[in-house]
Amino acid sequence: MSNLFQTYEVGSLPKLAARVSALSTKGTTATEKSIAEFARYGNMAQVDVSQALDIFERQRSERMPLSEAERTAVIDANALINTRLQELWLDIVYDGEGRRQEMYREVVRLIDGFKFLPEWIRSRGPDSWNAAVCISEPRLMVSLDELPVIKEFEFVRDHASKPVKVPMDDPFMIANMSVDRHYKGVLRPQYENDPRKLRYEAKRALTLALAQNVIRPQVEAAVRGGAKWIQLDIPSATIDIEHIPILVDGVNAVVDGIEGIKFSLHICYPRRVSLTEESGYELLFPHVLNLNPNVNHFSLELANGDQYERDLAVFARYKGQRKFEIGAGLVDITLERQDRDLIETPETVRDRIARAAKILGDHNLVYAAPDCGLRQLTMERSLRLYEVLAKGAELARRG
Amino acid sequence: MKVGAYLTGAFGQSQVLYDTRNAAKRGRGSPEQVTAQILADTQDVISRQKAAGLSFVIDPMFRIYHLLQPLAEGVPLEHIKDPKYRELVQQVLAEYFGIKEGPQENWFNNNVFFRRPIIGNLKTSAAGFTISYLHPELLLRDGKAMAVLPSPYTAMALSMYGNKNGYELPVEEQRSVIADLAQLLRAEAISLANRGFKRIQFDEPAIAHRQSLGSLTKNDLRLLELAMKYCGVIDNTTVMLNFYFGDVGPIIPNICDLSVDGINIDMTETRLDAVLNHRFDGMELALGLVDARSTNPENPQDLAQKLRRVADLSAPKALWLTPNTGTEYIGWSGGLEKIAILGQAMKEFEK
Repeated sequence: MSNLFQTYEVGSLPKLAARVSALSTKGTTATEKSIAEFARYGNMAQVDVSQALDIFERQRSERMPLSEAERTAVIDANALINTRLQELWLDIVYDGEGRRQEMYREVVRLIDGFKFLPEWIRSRGPDSWNAAVCISEPRLMVSLDELPVIKEFEFVRDHASKPVKVPMDDPFMIANMSVDRHYKGVLRPQYENDPRKLRYEAKRALTLALAQNVIRPQVEAAVRGGAKWIQLDIPSATIDIEHIPILVDGVNAVVDGIEGIKFSLHICYPRRVSLTEESGYELLFPHVLNLNPNVNHFSLELANGDQYERDLAVFARYKGQRKFEIGAGLVDITLERQDRDLIETPETVRDRIARAAKILGDHNLVYAAPDCGLRQLTMERSLRLYEVLAKGAELARRG
Repeated sequence: MKVGAYLTGAFGQSQVLYDTRNAAKRGRGSPEQVTAQILADTQDVISRQKAAGLSFVIDPMFRIYHLLQPLAEGVPLEHIKDPKYRELVQQVLAEYFGIKEGPQENWFNNNVFFRRPIIGNLKTSAAGFTISYLHPELLLRDGKAMAVLPSPYTAMALSMYGNKNGYELPVEEQRSVIADLAQLLRAEAISLANRGFKRIQFDEPAIAHRQSLGSLTKNDLRLLELAMKYCGVIDNTTVMLNFYFGDVGPIIPNICDLSVDGINIDMTETRLDAVLNHRFDGMELALGLVDARSTNPENPQDLAQKLRRVADLSAPKALWLTPNTGTEYIGWSGGLEKIAILGQAMKEFEK
């Protein structure tokens, strides 16, 4: 029974304030308070952070930018804290994406053929994001040895005492978040009088090029390094309902022929106002039935809506054709909940696991996870969410 | 036949505005600095529209985060710093107007988001909710001002009524809701026309999107027809119904019969053939041939040639070249490039 309802983090943890200040290009330094916080979490994680603390203190007194070696020491310390803190509560861990700036930019900056727009695009309320334009066929512009995700994975592999899941960007996600100039231009003569077909084929061509030239090489390198579970992140999976078949083509182009590895997809905040008869995760079907058999697990945002029966019904409906494991989002990660200091109880998590298992008809299919990454929350709240998740899963195991 | 060009939606923010907003959000700057930058950028975008010879001038809508915000919010609240006070004002406004902002969702097939209106007992006469988000002092100087409002159908479809989605309400409820929304939006359009706005554009992405997804029903078209009977004709202004984010080719005969001065079609979704197969006698036609979601530059000669074919074969009362939607998706620089293309295409057409 101990393997039931295994717990994992979807991706990110917040970066500790001392690390952010010390590494900032704006000339800031860690404060006394933030250094104390770093030391506290180091102590909690049983990580020796003395070198990082010395660096923070020296930078405060000398007001000098950090050397490359000092930057690495600080980043390593924060990443190790993240892994160890996850190990306190979770069954499957990583490093809280502690080395990454942000999921989209982190990968796009490595792509030859992409150019960031000069201005950030408004996305939600006062928030914006830095979209890039595809101007030629995308290719990795760093060698496989220098890929940040590989260095990151090797560090976790060498330090983690629990199984590891590696989160990576999905090609369809990058295509959805980017502006395509190249493939629309290349394919325009072919689809001159069919603009919808042009949009579809250009998105498909871009996704497949990203899959083959950018994401697959990173996955292969991670697998060579010993990765056993790779999660492809597709938060925007259902943005364009008509393009969901491209998602499947893109994932398969990444994973086909790579054996002995578990692949999962993280999808969150699907279009629940789809303007069609189907909505939410229903929109993924039947297309995802064509995913490579090694892609057998979905990590889903579910706690925010708390409609497990409705959200998961489609997986139950198709289980005769294909069963997927579900990493059920059991704790809500939104800022609004943090602002109001609302948090689930272990009993709520237990009940949600039971609801998910009931609708899926098989408790072996259910894993326990947060709705999404936690980078926008405080570390304190993130750890409380881990605790609630772990305790709730334990209650569910006891039945 | 009148021929011209204009923008149809929100413009991409400048990097300076982004930095100013970001600083204010993180407590390193003030809301007043944001307001000042919005004003400077708005002046700039308006000047550039005029310099390019565009026929109508719109506000770049830097104070509006999404199409339905003014309708649901009533007045801009972003400058109320105290969250508790802001919440209190929101509650009072929501009770008075019978509408408020709800949960966040994707804006059609874009990586941007909107907040769904939650509609209760709607006050149908409460016009005047748009103007405080715009810059009338800059727009209304030379009789070319245009304003954008949500179409009643899109507002109905994307809103929540209790726990129900507007597009899933029973037909009778939909008719009642859309009549209320159409009356409110008519009052709003009249209020804008009285201030001097010479063109009102009702944005109708939901019908186009549903058509593309195969979900559009005859009832949807009847609801749109009902809505336009209320607000499709307004004295002292022209009313355009703007269809985007979907292919309206198969329903062109239906939308040509609507009570409205003209229609705007997203030509990055609808085939040119579909337009050329119809005549638009007595109706204005705006074609979104400029792709506002791609930085790929259109060829002005090619655009002019397409306009000539439409002018010859479809014979609308007036013909306009536009982007298919707001250029907010390609940023400030991308938007400026599209303004230039609109201007160049008009010069090519005049040759």
